Amino acid sequence: MLSRNFRLQKIGDLKWLETNYGFSEVGYSIDELIVLDVSRTPRDRPTFCKALKSLTFDCFAPIAAGGGVNSVKEAHDLLRSGADKVVVNTTLHSNPDLISKLATEFGRQCIVASLDCKQVNNKFELVTNNGSETTNLDLSQFLAQISSLPVGEIYLNSVDRDGTGNGYDFKLLDCLPKSIEVPIILAGGVGNSKHLAEGLSDHRVDAVATANLLNFMGNGLALARAELIDANFDLPIFSK
Amino acid sequence: MGNLWSVASAIKFLGAEPVVSSDPTEIANSNCLVLPGVGSFRRAMETIKTKKYDQAIAEALTNSKTKLLGICLGMQLLGASSNEGGQTDGLGLVPNRVIKFSSEGNPNIKIPHIGFSEVKSPKNSSLFENIPDNSCFYFVHSYFMEVADYGATNNHIATANHGKEFVAAIDSGQVCGTQFHPEKSQTNGLRLIQNFLERF
Repeated sequence: MLSRNFRLQKIGDLKWLETNYGFSEVGYSIDELIVLDVSRTPRDRPTFCKALKSLTFDCFAPIAAGGGVNSVKEAHDLLRSGADKVVVNTTLHSNPDLISKLATEFGRQCIVASLDCKQVNNKFELVTNNGSETTNLDLSQFLAQISSLPVGEIYLNSVDRDGTGNGYDFKLLDCLPKSIEVPIILAGGVGNSKHLAEGLSDHRVDAVATANLLNFMGNGLALARAELIDANFDLPIFSK
Repeated sequence: MGNLWSVASAIKFLGAEPVVSSDPTEIANSNCLVLPGVGSFRRAMETIKTKKYDQAIAEALTNSKTKLLGICLGMQLLGASSNEGGQTDGLGLVPNRVIKFSSEGNPNIKIPHIGFSEVKSPKNSSLFENIPDNSCFYFVHSYFMEVADYGATNNHIATANHGKEFVAAIDSGQVCGTQFHPEKSQTNGLRLIQNFLERF
C-alpha cells in the first residue's frame, strides 16, 4: 500500500511562499511555472489573481494558471495577473463550448488541457473537480478525439501517483493515439531527478512536471535540474 | 501568448516607462515601438489597417532614430505575407513570408512549437550583445517565418530549428523582431530587451 495523504496539503500562505520560494530565483530551475487554485471551498478569484500577480511580477518565465476557470472573463483576469496560459480541466467536459471561445479570444496555444487520470481496473478514467468526481470517460477514447478541441498542450496527470514520489505512471502514455499534434506534459509522482529523467527519455513526452520537488524538497528542484543537465538532457541554461 | 502585460512588465522592470497605446498619432510620434502579437495574422492585419497603425508605424520609422521591435506574431507581421486565416499581406518591412509548421513525415514535430530552443544569433548584432551564441529563448508558435535568400537580409537574421530552420529574430537596424518571447526567456530575454531599449 502507498503511504499517502489524500487530503489537500497546506504548505504555507502567500507570505510563506514569497519568503521561501522567491520566484525570481525558482525561475532559474524551471522552464515554465504552473500555478493552480485547488481550493475546495468556493474560489476567491480576486485573491488568487492578487497572489498570482505578486508571485510573478519579477519572474520572467512562462506561467500557466488555472483552477475552476469557467468563463472568458476569468481567463482574462488570470492573463492580466501574470499568466500566459490558462489551464482548464473540469471545463473540458462541463463546458466544451467555452474552450472554443477561449481559443478564439486568446489563441489555442494559450490553453493547457489538464487531464486527471485515475486507474480503474485496467483502464484510466478521467476525474474532475479536483479529482472528486468521476466522468466515466475513458482516457484513450478521450485522447483519440482531443484534436477536435482547440488546445495547445496536454497536461497528463496520474491522480494515483500524484504526491507519492514513486515516479510517473508510463501506462498513461499507452493511451495516447499514434500521432498527436500537441505537446504532452507528464505529471504526477515525481520524487527525485531520476523520475524526471525517465519522463524526458520517453519519446512520447515533451515536458515533465513536478510539484513535489518544488514544494517539499528544499532546493530539490535546482539540484534535480543540475543533475539532468550533467546527464546531457537538453535543458536551457539560464545565466543569473 | 502575445501577452501585452508581460511585455510591459518586463520593460518596466528594466527601468523604462512603457505606454500601451492604440492611438495612431501617439504611435507615429514615438521613437521606440514594441509590437506584441495578439490573435491571428489575418485579424491582426485587419485591425492594423482599419486603425491605420500601418501608416502610423511607417511615419514613425521616417525618423531614423525610431526603432521597432515585433514580438512573436508581432515579428511575423513585419513580413511580406502569411497564410494564417487565408493569404494576407503583412507590413512588408522585411521580405520573408510566414507559413505553418507541418508534422507530415515527422510525428515528433509537435505543433505548436512550445518551449526553449537554441537560437543562432546573427554576426555583429547589437540586439544579441552580451548574449552567448546558441542561448535558449522561449517559443510558442504554430506559424513561422521562412528563411529564404533575400540577399543582405540574411545577414540580419537569427535562426532556430523545429524540424526545419526558421527565422528566430531579426536585427535590421531600425526594424527588429523576435519570434520567441524575450519577456518570458528569463535573463537572456531581459538582456535582449535591454539591448533593444539602449539602441540608438
